[in-house]
Amino acid sequence: MSSTVADLEIATFGIDRIVEGTQTGRDATTLTVSSSQLAVGAGEPALAEATVEVVRPGEPVRISNVLDVVLPTVKADDPASTFPGILGPATDAGSGRTNRLYGVAVVNSCDWLTPGYVIPEEFPDSLVDMSGPGADRSPFGATANVVLRFEPADRAPIAEVDAAIRRETARVARELAATTLGQEPDDVARYAWPLPAASADLPAIVPILQVASEGTLVDTFFQGEAMDDLDPTVFDPRSILDGALTNGAYDWAGVRNVTAVYQDNALLRALFAGHGERLRFAGLIIALGYLDTAEEKQRSALASAQLAASLGADGVICTTFSSGNSHTDTMLSVRACEQAGIATTALVCETNGGLTDHVPEADCLVSTGNEDELVDPWTPHTVIGSESAARVGEPVPTWAYVAACVETGDAAWTAVPA
Amino acid sequence: MTIVHYLNQFFAGLGGEEAAGHEPVRLDGPQGPGRALAAAGAAPDVTIACGDDHFGEHEAEALATLLAWLEEIRPDVLICGPSFGSGRYGYACGVLAREAGRRGIPVVAAMTPDSPGVMAAEGAAFVVPTGSNVAAMRTVVPVMAGLAVRLAAGEPVGGPDEEGYLPRGLRSNAMSDRTGAVRAIDLLLAKLAGDVRTEVGPTGDRVAPAPPVADVSSVRLALVSEAGCVPQGNPDQLPTRHANVWLRYPIGGVDSLAAGTYESVHAGFDTTAGNADPNRLVPLDAARELEGREAFGSLHDAFYTTSGVDTPVATAAKFGQEIAAELLEAKVGAVVLTGT
Repeated sequence: MSSTVADLEIATFGIDRIVEGTQTGRDATTLTVSSSQLAVGAGEPALAEATVEVVRPGEPVRISNVLDVVLPTVKADDPASTFPGILGPATDAGSGRTNRLYGVAVVNSCDWLTPGYVIPEEFPDSLVDMSGPGADRSPFGATANVVLRFEPADRAPIAEVDAAIRRETARVARELAATTLGQEPDDVARYAWPLPAASADLPAIVPILQVASEGTLVDTFFQGEAMDDLDPTVFDPRSILDGALTNGAYDWAGVRNVTAVYQDNALLRALFAGHGERLRFAGLIIALGYLDTAEEKQRSALASAQLAASLGADGVICTTFSSGNSHTDTMLSVRACEQAGIATTALVCETNGGLTDHVPEADCLVSTGNEDELVDPWTPHTVIGSESAARVGEPVPTWAYVAACVETGDAAWTAVPA
Repeated sequence: MTIVHYLNQFFAGLGGEEAAGHEPVRLDGPQGPGRALAAAGAAPDVTIACGDDHFGEHEAEALATLLAWLEEIRPDVLICGPSFGSGRYGYACGVLAREAGRRGIPVVAAMTPDSPGVMAAEGAAFVVPTGSNVAAMRTVVPVMAGLAVRLAAGEPVGGPDEEGYLPRGLRSNAMSDRTGAVRAIDLLLAKLAGDVRTEVGPTGDRVAPAPPVADVSSVRLALVSEAGCVPQGNPDQLPTRHANVWLRYPIGGVDSLAAGTYESVHAGFDTTAGNADPNRLVPLDAARELEGREAFGSLHDAFYTTSGVDTPVATAAKFGQEIAAELLEAKVGAVVLTGT
């Protein structure tokens, strides 16, 4: 495959040591983080305070009130175009060189309960453990994490607080990755789109990436815009890997599509890797879940199936966003695709009681794990975030661990009979 | 390590069918099949036994006695049976296994897969499948003993296939060697090649529609809802999600659910419209109007409610069975079930 300017190149820089210092910088595989230099929260009137802490795998730390996880990323030729729509204007994200740190994540944390923005029932606990029995539940127990802890300014409107947090988190992710500018990466992955033609004997596969956007604190953003009125649409998959799709939905942690799972999306990467080898990657559809009415759900499912058919799909892979209601959107999409003659699989999490919804056409499902399974109690040495939402010394349901059962295919947990 | 072994009258050496009414007894050391367990490395310290008929006819009392002994001994593991194809013995093993399991005692039992004891155990025990008669003893005892010794030592136990017990109806998390994304592609390509496999299937049963109500004019109608409708202030603390209870509220003499008197605590939908008119959660106003017009016989004097959000199917099925049993008792012949 020949490279063109239009290809997306993701250049990765591995980090295996992270320290705090006076100047943010990178020396080979060591990243130094300077919280004073990052000045998180300065210039954001909706934020009262922000702190930066660095935690590493194996440390006796639990992070609570986790909202999102972002991979440190910078557009190498134009840093201002990183996270388009969040840090700068919308762009044609998805082409050119993108530098990304590997082994490090930016984790943001904010307690919405104490200032009274939400009630506990709306905002279940959201944790990452750096050691202990739950350390392997969230994929981000295995990354070195730069934890940004935010406090809203008194009486600041919640949408403004959230926008400021998302902006500051993206900015820190960009600043950390900017330490790589002009340096040689460990590895470069190249993503062309459209892909070169592959043998028509190979099955054409289309993923339907489900997102949801229901309002502040439960939104998904494309180029900084909430996707609440999205009809099923074909997207350039490179733009997703390049930071155009970001998370602002913070309810159930275990099945939360954090920004990192869009940036490093395992399903898109696997489809790119398999193209011309064992499949043809025929296009990406993004569709909404958590639609309000039966009619909207049915209409969206049918529209997704029609789009997939128009892309020539032989097979479709449906991902799911969060749990409960959205499982019906997934199941209706499976049914609509199967009825259109397209072989379909879907990724869904389980509860202790099994599946929330099921249609007979859904005969080929990936289980991303049982979100109700309890993880043994643990008492960390340190809690970053509010202790009252940290379940210290208590059994922790898997749903409280960030992205443990994420239904995008980015984790390896599954559930087996016992 | 303390091991307690449960047997029926026959295997405990108390007698045959004539001793089936035997009260619970407590014996020292291994009895009957307990000797085979001892030879396999899991020697019972105490044997408890009960006649099969006695257990069936006096379940509560027999169970209380047996559980009191277990409370006192606090064994590291309880072994029940094997009961093979015996229905009464299997049932007693299953019930005792369930209750001991719920009290934190690991339990190993053994019986035929279709024994009523498997259902009775409700997943609280490791049940090793056996043949229908005592000829299976030789093969099943080492499996039971192996499981029992490891459970007693607090060691991890593998999955049903690997260890040879019946699936307990539980789904346990395990780390795969491939991400969900790679597994999805693998499964899809296999399906396209004609090999349809799934990692998870439906667990709920498909409910066949009930036959039409034979005589609507005389039927007693009840209102049931999962809309989370409760008296204002939620006095009985119905959970807003993951509900573990259903509730019943009287509506005798009430014609309409007034705003400010009832509300929805359901965490899964926007309750604004429902709170403005709780009759849209539980349609009492319409039911009373139709009752007045004699469109049906009579309205049952209570409505039934829970909040159906993130409720496991098994829990929801249990709620349904419990509510239906009460409605049958009250001679209710039809239900309007409002869902959200």
